[in-house]
Amino acid sequence: MNQFNSGPSINTYNKLSHWFDFSNPGILKVYSGKIDIGQHISSTLALIASKITEIKYDQIEIIKLSTDISPNEGITASSLSVANSGSAIKAASITLKINFIKYALENLEIKNEDILFENGVIKDKNSNKTISYWDFAKTDDFRKIIIPENFDENSLKKINYENNQKIELKTINDIVTGKYKYVHDINFPKMLHARIVRPPSYHCKLIKINEDFKKRLVENDIILFVKGSFVAILSQDEFLVTKFLEIAKKNIFWEEKQQLSNENVFNSLEKNEKESLLVKSGGEAFYEEIPEKKSFDDPKIKSLSTTFKKSYLMHGPIGPSASCAICKDNKFTIFSHSQSIFALKYSISKFFDIDPNLVSLKFMPGSGCYGHNGADDVAFEASVIAKEYPDRHILLKWTREDEHSWEPYGSASLNKVFGAINDYGEVIYWSNEAYSDTYLSRPSDLELTNFTSYKFLTNNFAKTKSTPKTSAHMGIHRNLDPIYNFKETRLVKNLVHDLPLRTSALRTLGAFANVTASESFLNDLASIKNIDPFDIRINHLDDERAIDVLNNLKEKMEIFKPKDYSFRGIAFSRYKNSAAYCAVGVELNVTDDLEINLNHAWITVDAGEIAYEDGIKAQVEGGFIQAASWALYEEVIFDSKEIISKDWDSYKIIGFDNIPVFTTSVIDQKGSPYLGVGEVVAGPTGAAISNALCNALGQRIKILPFTKDNITKELLN
Amino acid sequence: MNYLDCSFKINGNLKKIPIIEDKTLIHVIRDELGLTGTKLGCGLEQCGSCAILIDGEKKLSCNLLAKDYQNCEITTIEGLENKDGLNNVQEAFREFNAAQCGYCTSGIIISITALFDKNKKPSSQEIQNALNGHLCRCGSHSVVLKAIDSLIEN
Repeated sequence: MNQFNSGPSINTYNKLSHWFDFSNPGILKVYSGKIDIGQHISSTLALIASKITEIKYDQIEIIKLSTDISPNEGITASSLSVANSGSAIKAASITLKINFIKYALENLEIKNEDILFENGVIKDKNSNKTISYWDFAKTDDFRKIIIPENFDENSLKKINYENNQKIELKTINDIVTGKYKYVHDINFPKMLHARIVRPPSYHCKLIKINEDFKKRLVENDIILFVKGSFVAILSQDEFLVTKFLEIAKKNIFWEEKQQLSNENVFNSLEKNEKESLLVKSGGEAFYEEIPEKKSFDDPKIKSLSTTFKKSYLMHGPIGPSASCAICKDNKFTIFSHSQSIFALKYSISKFFDIDPNLVSLKFMPGSGCYGHNGADDVAFEASVIAKEYPDRHILLKWTREDEHSWEPYGSASLNKVFGAINDYGEVIYWSNEAYSDTYLSRPSDLELTNFTSYKFLTNNFAKTKSTPKTSAHMGIHRNLDPIYNFKETRLVKNLVHDLPLRTSALRTLGAFANVTASESFLNDLASIKNIDPFDIRINHLDDERAIDVLNNLKEKMEIFKPKDYSFRGIAFSRYKNSAAYCAVGVELNVTDDLEINLNHAWITVDAGEIAYEDGIKAQVEGGFIQAASWALYEEVIFDSKEIISKDWDSYKIIGFDNIPVFTTSVIDQKGSPYLGVGEVVAGPTGAAISNALCNALGQRIKILPFTKDNITKELLN
Repeated sequence: MNYLDCSFKINGNLKKIPIIEDKTLIHVIRDELGLTGTKLGCGLEQCGSCAILIDGEKKLSCNLLAKDYQNCEITTIEGLENKDGLNNVQEAFREFNAAQCGYCTSGIIISITALFDKNKKPSSQEIQNALNGHLCRCGSHSVVLKAIDSLIEN
C-alpha cells in the first residue's frame, strides 16, 4: 500500500456528513449516488464501510438514492460504481476512523495501548469509560473534518482490514420472501395506473381516435390522455387499463411519416452518411485525416483482413420499465429505476421549464438491466401525465411489447479488421475500422429528443443527428485501441447516420463488438504462424497484471481435461484499457444440428483491490452469461413497418439449459484502486466463444449471433 | 362491466372479493390482495416471473382467468414460509445470495419448490425441466444452480 486516491466524488462531497448519518444510535447510514441494479452495490458499499470503520455490516444501511439528499455521482454506469462511490466511502471511512481514534484518545485522556475498539465504540480498558462514533458525530470536530483527496502511506498504515468476508446481501431476505419492493409494486390511495397506446413505429402522427371507443372508455371510468400524438389511458384498476390497451390499438389511427428500413443494416452501415474520426493510442478520437490502409508485398509478412458483423441487441429486462410520478403544489416527486437519476431530474425540469428544485427523483428498484433501457422514458412520460392530474400518483408501466419495441437498442455494428504479422510472430500492423450508430443518447437537458415520446408530444418528427463523442473509449470506439504493443495501428471510429432503429448505451457500449472482433482476429493472425493463443497475447503485452491474468487463466484451464468432441477458445481484455483486466476461456461443443453447448467457462479477473469477492464473481459470471446470450442467440428483427421482435419468442435469450460450469478466479491487488467489473467480461466472452467455435468448425464465423442460420451461411460462403 | 363475487384461498387464507369477471389471476393476487411478490414480466407465459402454486402445481398466473381458480389452494412466494421460517428452497437461495435484481427469483423459487415437494432428489434433467421457461437477464443462473444443487446434497 503506497497511496490511496479518494476518487472524483470527494472533489465535491468532502465532508463526512455527505456520506454518513449517525443520527440513529447503533446504526450507520451511508449515502451513495449509485443505485442497485442487481450488481449488489449497496452490499458492497456497506462492506467497504464496515471493513474500515469496524462497525458490523448488519448495522450499516445504504440510503436509497434521492436527488434531495444524496451526492450526485453521475450515472450508475461504465463500471464506475465501486471505483467512484466505493473509493469515496473508503476515503470517508478512513478519515472517520483516524479522526475518531484521535478524538477518543484526547477526550478519554488515555493512550493507544489502553483502548478496546469494538463495533464503533472505544473503551478505556482501565476506567471502562467509552466513547462511540455516534458521540463523535455530534461534535464540532466531526463537522469540521475535510476528507482528503489522497492518503499517504503513514495514514494507511493505521488501517487494517481483510478482503475475504462472506456476507448476506442486504436485499436477499426480502427477495426470497417476495417482500422486496420494485417501482412496479408502488401503491398509493387513488393512484391511477397508466399505459401508453403506441403507434406501429417511431415516425407516426396521430390521425384519429374512434368516437365509439371514447364513449366506451367513459362508460368504464377510463381516462383518455392525448397530447400531440402521445396517447395514454388511465384507470384506478390496473387490469382495466391492460384490457383496454388491446382494444385501443384497434381504435386509434396513425399516419406513418417515415418507414423503418428494408435494407440490410450491414449494407446501411457501409453506405450511409457517416462521420469518421481517427482514434489514437490512448483511445481518444480526433477529427483528423484518416491515413490509407497499408499493404505488404514482402513474402515474409503475412496479412489478413476480415469484417465482423454484430446485430442490434436489446437490454430486455424481465420486468418492463415503470415509474410513479405525482405533481403536487407544482412540485414533482418521481420514483424511478433510471441509472441516470440526476440527469433525469434536470431533463424533466427543462422540459417543463421549471426550477430543478421542483423536481425530486427517488430511486426505487426495477428489473435488472445494464444500460439505458426504457427506465428514463417511462419516468419522463409518467411526469408528463402527472402534470395534467395534480395531486394523484400516476403509476405508468411499459408493456412487454413496449420494452421490446421502444427501448434504445445496442447498435448493430461492423468491424473491418486488417493486420500483418512478420516471421518472428510480431504483429507489425493493425487496422480496425468500427461502424456503428451512437451508444450515447441517455437523457440530457440539452437533448430532450433523447426521450422517445418527445417527438409524439411535440408532433415534431424532424430527424436528429448524433454527434460523435471524442473522449477516450467513449461509445463506438470503446476498446477499439488494442492494449497490445503492436508496431503500428490505424483505428477509425465511424458514426453512421440515418440507421433505422433507436440506439443508446447497452452494457460495454462498443467494447463488446470491438473486443470480439479484435480478439478473434488476433487468433487468426496467430494461426497463420502457428502461434499459441496465450503466447501471441503475452508476447505483445508489457503490463505485468495483464500477463498475470492470462497465466492464471492458462493454469486454471490446464487443471481440467477437455471433454471429448469439445473445443476451447480464449480471449483477453482490459476494460477501457484503464479498468479491470479479464481473461476468459470457453469449452464448447457443436451438435450436428449446429447448436452450440457451453460446457465450461473459466474467468480470471483483476479488479484492483477486492471490495467484495462474491459480488465480483456474481458480476463477471452474470456478465459472461449475458454476453454468451448475445453471441449465441440475440438479434432484433424488424421490417420497414415495425419491430418484429416484440416478445421472448421472437427475441431468444439464453436459458438455464446452456449455462456452463464456471471456474472463476479473482486476483486481489490490495491497496490498488477499485476497478469495476460490470462490463469487463463481455468482450472476452464473445471472443472466447468465437475462437472456440472457430476451432470446432475449422472456420471463422464472422456474423453474430452464432445461430444455425448464420453459421450455415458462413460455411456455405 | 360485470363484477362477480369470488372467494379465493390464498396462502391458507380465504378471501372474498368482487372482481371484474374476466380479471386475470395475477391482477387479483397483486392488485386486490396486495401480494406483490408475484411479478408480471411479459403477460405471455414466456418468462416465468408470475409463477405460483395451484394445488401444489406450478402455474403461470399472467393469463389465467381468476374466477376459474376459486376452489383451489393458491400459494404465492409470500406463502412459502412455514412455522420455522423460510422453506428449504428460500433458505438455500438466501444462503447462496442467489439473486441479482431479484425480479425473476420468486418465480424460480416457486418452480423449484414444486419440484422438491414431489421429489427430494431430482435428476439434472428434472431440474432443467423445472427451470425451463424461467428467464433471467442479470445472469444469476450460475448461483441459482449452485443453490439448487445444495438442496440435493442436503
